[in-house]
Amino acid sequence: MDRLADQFANRAVRSVFIYTREAHPGENYRHHQSMDDKRRNAHAFREHSNVRRQILLDDLDGAAHRAFGQLPNMTWIMGRGGLIHYKSSWTSAADVANALEGVLDFQANRAKNQWALFYSERSAWSARNKDRFDEGLVRAGPQAVADYERMLKSAVFSRSAPSPEIGPRVPGNFYKTEEESGKK
Amino acid sequence: MIKEQYNYSEFVATPNEFLEFAEHAPRATMRAPSFPLEDLATGGTVEMKDLWKTGITVIEFGSFT
Repeated sequence: MDRLADQFANRAVRSVFIYTREAHPGENYRHHQSMDDKRRNAHAFREHSNVRRQILLDDLDGAAHRAFGQLPNMTWIMGRGGLIHYKSSWTSAADVANALEGVLDFQANRAKNQWALFYSERSAWSARNKDRFDEGLVRAGPQAVADYERMLKSAVFSRSAPSPEIGPRVPGNFYKTEEESGKK
Repeated sequence: MIKEQYNYSEFVATPNEFLEFAEHAPRATMRAPSFPLEDLATGGTVEMKDLWKTGITVIEFGSFT
């Protein structure tokens, strides 16, 4: 996402990172009990991940995070005046870049008063990088690994594909087969 | 939600959180809410609405873990 921020910076697009609660707290990076805890983990994140974007800390109650839906790694695009152009339950740089091109196109043509804005929804996808995700859990500590494994074992979060046409069921993919929906 | 609940010490996924995001979080074409945030580098306060006052803003939410 930092590369994408650099790519669009000269087109008047600002990119920031809002630091939330720890999604997978562990022995090495524990949940926040104070703003100092949050600052400490955010500094570690910036150094480890070489984040160049401005990092902004939400308050300890997660007021901003909760208001925007509270998911662990979502991305939003706002236009001038706070118009929401894009909300995504997960962050995919490719999908954000695609959306940004559309937003920039709209901004450029809006001035001609020939384009009308409307609401739309679509699916998106990203490459799965389980090794990188697992590395993050290990870095957080054994508890983070154990908590995640326990979640995977629960039936609610089955990762099996619901049908050959639908990929692995990840959170944010709401597809249900007719059978799962109770329809025959 | 109290801060202890929000900052859970043990990850327990809630099955409906993604559906809540889809159905109840602000939607595209709405106006985004604004909150004060703390700039990690300076310690100063940044109002979200100031981010998008002059142009397009990409906001990624996340944490180290």
